Amino acid sequence: MANYLAQFQSIKSACDHIVISVEDVSDLWPTVKNAFEERLPFKRAILNNKTRNPVLVDKFPAEFILTTDARLRSRFPQEQLLFWFREPYASIVLVTCEDLDEFKTILKPRLKLIVQNDEREWFIVFVSKAHPNNDQAIKMAKKVYARLEVDFSSKKRERCCKLDIHGPEPNFWEDLEIKIIESIRNTLDKRVQFYEDELRKLSELRFMPIWNFCNFFILKESLAFMFEMAHLHEDALREYDELELCYLETVNMTGKHREFGGVENGDEEAALLNFENKPLTQIVQDDSFREFEFRQYLFACQSKLLFKLNRPFEVAARGYTFVISFSKALTQHENILPFCMREVWIITACLALISGTYSNYNEGLAAPDIEKEFYRLLGDLYSLCRVKFMRLAYIIGYGSDIERSPINSASLSMLPWPKPSVWPSVPPDASSEVLAKEKLILQATPRVKHFCILRKPLPLEPSVLLREANRRRASLSAGNTFEMFDGRSAIDGSGSDAPLRMSSLNKAQTISMSRTNSSPGFDGSIDRPMRLAEIFVASEHALRQTISNPNLWKSLSSVEEFEQKYLELTKGAADNYHRSWWKRHGVVLDGEIAAVFFKHGNFDLAAKSYEKVCALYSGEGWQDLLAEVLPNLAECQKILNDQAGYLSSCVRLLSLDKGLFSIKERQAFQSEVVSIAHSEMEHPVPLDVSSLITFSGNPGPPLVLCDGDPGTLSVTVWSGFPDDITLDSLSLTLAATYNADEGAKALKSSFATVLKPGRNTITVDLPPQKPGSYVLGVLTGQIGQLRFRSHSFSKVGPADSDDFMSYEKPTRPILKVFNPRPLVDLAAATSSPLLINEAQWIGIIVRPIDYSLKSAVLHIDTGPGLTIEESHVIEMESYIEVSQRPGDIANSNSALNDCSLADNKDFERLSLHDGRIQLPDWASNVTSILWIPVSAIDNNLARGSSTVNPQRQSIVDGMRTIALKLEFGVSHNQIFDRTIAVHFTDPFHVSTRVADKCNDGTLLLQVILHSEVKATLNIFDAWLDLQDGFVHTGKGDGRPISGFFPLIVSPTSRAGILFSICLGNTTAEVEDVAVQPESLLNIRYGISGDRTAGAHPPVTAESNGSEGARQDLIFRSTLVLQQPVLDPSLAVGFLPLPSDGLRVGQLINMNWRVERLKEFDQNKDSLCNDEVLYEVNANSDNWMIAGRKRGHVSLPTEQGSLSLLFAYTFHLTEYLVAFCHHKVFHIPHFCGVLIIFFIVTGSRIVISVLCVPLVAGYVRPPQLGLPDIDQANISCNPPGPHLICVLPPALSSSFCIPA
Amino acid sequence: MIVCVAVVGHQNNPLYIQSFTEEDDALKLHHIVHCSLDVVDERVNNPKKSGPTLNETFLGLLYPTENYKVYGYLTNTKVKFILVTTDLDVRDADVRNFFRRFHAAYVDAVSNPFHIPGKKITSKTFSERVSAIVKSFGLSSAG
Repeated sequence: MANYLAQFQSIKSACDHIVISVEDVSDLWPTVKNAFEERLPFKRAILNNKTRNPVLVDKFPAEFILTTDARLRSRFPQEQLLFWFREPYASIVLVTCEDLDEFKTILKPRLKLIVQNDEREWFIVFVSKAHPNNDQAIKMAKKVYARLEVDFSSKKRERCCKLDIHGPEPNFWEDLEIKIIESIRNTLDKRVQFYEDELRKLSELRFMPIWNFCNFFILKESLAFMFEMAHLHEDALREYDELELCYLETVNMTGKHREFGGVENGDEEAALLNFENKPLTQIVQDDSFREFEFRQYLFACQSKLLFKLNRPFEVAARGYTFVISFSKALTQHENILPFCMREVWIITACLALISGTYSNYNEGLAAPDIEKEFYRLLGDLYSLCRVKFMRLAYIIGYGSDIERSPINSASLSMLPWPKPSVWPSVPPDASSEVLAKEKLILQATPRVKHFCILRKPLPLEPSVLLREANRRRASLSAGNTFEMFDGRSAIDGSGSDAPLRMSSLNKAQTISMSRTNSSPGFDGSIDRPMRLAEIFVASEHALRQTISNPNLWKSLSSVEEFEQKYLELTKGAADNYHRSWWKRHGVVLDGEIAAVFFKHGNFDLAAKSYEKVCALYSGEGWQDLLAEVLPNLAECQKILNDQAGYLSSCVRLLSLDKGLFSIKERQAFQSEVVSIAHSEMEHPVPLDVSSLITFSGNPGPPLVLCDGDPGTLSVTVWSGFPDDITLDSLSLTLAATYNADEGAKALKSSFATVLKPGRNTITVDLPPQKPGSYVLGVLTGQIGQLRFRSHSFSKVGPADSDDFMSYEKPTRPILKVFNPRPLVDLAAATSSPLLINEAQWIGIIVRPIDYSLKSAVLHIDTGPGLTIEESHVIEMESYIEVSQRPGDIANSNSALNDCSLADNKDFERLSLHDGRIQLPDWASNVTSILWIPVSAIDNNLARGSSTVNPQRQSIVDGMRTIALKLEFGVSHNQIFDRTIAVHFTDPFHVSTRVADKCNDGTLLLQVILHSEVKATLNIFDAWLDLQDGFVHTGKGDGRPISGFFPLIVSPTSRAGILFSICLGNTTAEVEDVAVQPESLLNIRYGISGDRTAGAHPPVTAESNGSEGARQDLIFRSTLVLQQPVLDPSLAVGFLPLPSDGLRVGQLINMNWRVERLKEFDQNKDSLCNDEVLYEVNANSDNWMIAGRKRGHVSLPTEQGSLSLLFAYTFHLTEYLVAFCHHKVFHIPHFCGVLIIFFIVTGSRIVISVLCVPLVAGYVRPPQLGLPDIDQANISCNPPGPHLICVLPPALSSSFCIPA
Repeated sequence: MIVCVAVVGHQNNPLYIQSFTEEDDALKLHHIVHCSLDVVDERVNNPKKSGPTLNETFLGLLYPTENYKVYGYLTNTKVKFILVTTDLDVRDADVRNFFRRFHAAYVDAVSNPFHIPGKKITSKTFSERVSAIVKSFGLSSAG
């Protein structure tokens, strides 16, 4: 059957569509041919696929062929069966007949003969030639057609249709089409069934020795081809897939040695999209095919179908897999294939796939993800192609022009060398080429990276090419020599074929040595190991043999051509990756493109691409990779004079992991930055050094300041520079955390700062800030001309190199400025009064409220009446409030005095300068008490008062103020003002009373001493200097007996002293002195009090030294003793009322008799000698008083003188004028009758007032008062009645009392 | 032979990368690991493609190149483990097993209270353990 292969191929190429045979019985074809062929291709056809499911096929092509045609006639029956797919799928019988008889006799038997072959799908087209006007003919045609239908159509199937040439027959063509398609469908189904049966039979024999793949192939491909003809591409593809599977399954199974193929010239050019590359007859081998060609053929068939199905992306996907798997197959057979055949094949295959799929691809047709996938595959193909291309280039000596980047290293160093059975040897006439190559090798100088970065170049070789090539040479039996040689080459540095970089000179020496050191018995001329240059030349020659494609060879012919192709491939890969999901691949390849640009001086483009790569790596924190690319970018930027970019690249380099660069390299980065910073910068740009210089507040709680305080802020700055760096200025901004609109405030540290590598602590002066909490904002500064800023906070350590992903960092407040609050309190230590006129300690409690009073200054300004005892020092001691020491309360009795003093209290003496005191340091944080010696001056003597008329001294008199101003805070910016009121008082308040009056005129004067202070007073002595008119009884000076003393007066208690005095004149000596109007009480006393409690012994120089020393103080108080009033001066008597009782409305004369008993001695100034003021008080509800209620009456001082009594009655309009001792009394008018009697008899006068009682009952009568005269001087005897009885008015009364 | 294992954080930042080649060519492995993230991203972002394996941590073969294979593993916290091997016929089960053990080692390492999540893993114990796992992977695949 394999013999039919050639025929099969020719048949396949000859027909590519379905054939419909036309049996032209009545020679009608020429007439209808055009009309028939116009229907082609059929607009739509519904066919069944292999699984018998209907499939819609658009534009179904077919061809009408007459049965008389040579193509259909000259076939052998066996062929017909084998190549059944080319047989007609439908038969149309074209007939016409105008006569029924003719039909019956001639046509019908002939038709029966034609259609008796049941294999075929046939139907009859009856063509009616009848003219529309010819009714007869039409009728006949109808008749014949009817007859035809009866004879040939069955109920199951219509097999007839009628075409009216002259008449409109709109349904005919549709009918025809349906019939044709139906026939085709039936035929197809039948044939598919047939092929399937055959194939099943064959494939069951698949594992038998008699298996013949060719037979299977012909059947399978026939089926596939049939599907393809029927436009059932999907099914055709499936057949090819199955065919491939079956092939792969069986190709190596039989154990027969088969040729792989691929050794012919031109085979290296991949034909995986070109199924007509080689006729199958050429690749057939025994009963199967050569793998090399046949697999490509199958793939080409599949891709052809896929392109027809408009699925180029699937071609790409299958293609990539195919290339990879085919490459494996090539590797297996590499020893029989030409040198580097595999690489060349892959290159051409990839390129073919790329161009084939791309040209068949219409953008936007597929779904976006398929599209992306497609581009990714193209990218993969490009990069695969690129890798192989680089490998070829390396082998022929362009290795030094291949960038030793990670991507190239990754793809090349893991790719094994080609493994030809014999490594090609140098052609005899190539010595000049070898020399040239050697020269090239020697000339190639490794490109020194910018900043003198030394890196071991990444390998591009899987192993040493020199060793590999020499090992594979034919006569390589003396392997040891080569090992020795290799060892040497490995020692000399790189272990790779990198003489190109590291040590070309050494290498050359080594090579020359190895040449001279040929070991004995080793014929250098034949089996001498090849040198690298020779390997390159040999490979080049071998490749030239392998590569038939002139374009590909051209690309390898020179370095420039290589670079061009390399760039093309790299760009292709990068572009396609960019369009796919695989952005990283794209960007990395951009970096490779950039390297080429860079090499050719196209720095602008190179920088752009490098920037992309750097952004990719740094964005994801791949620092190792970044460290490889960033220096390149920096170099570009430097060449382009992009200072900003260059600086930022340097900073980025510096901020990379320290392990990635040596210290020297890092120093080089820094010196670049510094030198640019100090040079003239054209466009000074702020440099972001966030990654390099980071800052943070010091650990621990934030600095706390009170409102208005300046401070110094200590900030930790981490420098990532490898050396010290001088910052010409540095400033920090503070940002309020809760007050965004405040903006940041800059704190400047204007002097130059030198940052050491690592941690630095920098202090910045902090001016007073508004209340709030602040975080560090931005660090800015200047290095030379260069302004820089850093935004990054570091926690405690240096900026973490992979901190790129840390989010918004929790910014710890570094500074808290409190709202204004009391920072200190000044208060008086005691509230109880101090001694006046004595030097007293005034205690001022200075209580800092969580605020240091360091170097605080207290201004003291005493108010009037208070002076500071400058002669004494001011004492200061620490103070603990009693309430804060609850434990001490239990034993507070014994330790009352020092309960307020701490055990280890601080004590210091201070002095006052210009009214200011500097507070000591120890007092800056503790509550302390400041004792200031003051004395309040009061020149007035204390006045005693009598118990009869107690007069307390006003507390205001003893009040003094002391104004305090405390300046504190860091720069005395805080001021606290307070005026403290201090109460001073005499130790005693004295009151007197006459305790008793003896019959002999002795008066017992009780002097009551009220202690005014909170201290125990000891009275040692007391005496009384009496005023005129009083003398002490007896001869003594009136002191109490000495045994009486000391008299101890507890705080705020009272004590009394009795003095016995009597009235009498002073002695004659007294007259020399001024008349003493007041008595003076002298008390010698001592005070034992604590200054913390109140009054205390006066401050003396030695007072603190000797506690036992008694300090006697003298207290003086004036006492006013009044002559005792023994007899009233005036007597007032109420004269009896009429005995018949009083009635309402009745006029009554109320009479009081005022009688001067003796002359007044006191109050002479205040009281007129002979006039007495009187006043009548009465309840106006009860009484109506007629007459003057208040007035003066004359009362002669001499007893027994007479006066006149005038009495007038007068009317309303008249005045009563009384002349009495030429005094005129004006008595205002009164609506009634007023009669006043002044009965003056000597020093006696009767005051009568006319009254009318208004209310009945017991009422209080009007009273006569003498306001000017002391009650004590009035004797009311008999006293006036309290109540008098007023009777209701008489019934006949004519008075009308208002209701 | 496993040439490289890597832990890549959820931001695609390298957390741990260890190569097992004798040569000084770790950078190329960095490149391979980095580029393989493209594939991981693609799988994660294209639920259609990953399909039923969406919930599986083992991502399988990422990178069928001619010369080496890259396998991936994605933890629930979007931390990726990448394995680069030059063995061209590796059993899937072996790789799964490797990743499972590696994951356990990783979990132990990041459970260290002194480890800062998202930072590079510097634990020596972890690296020793990884080496052990890598070694045993070689053994099991050889045997």
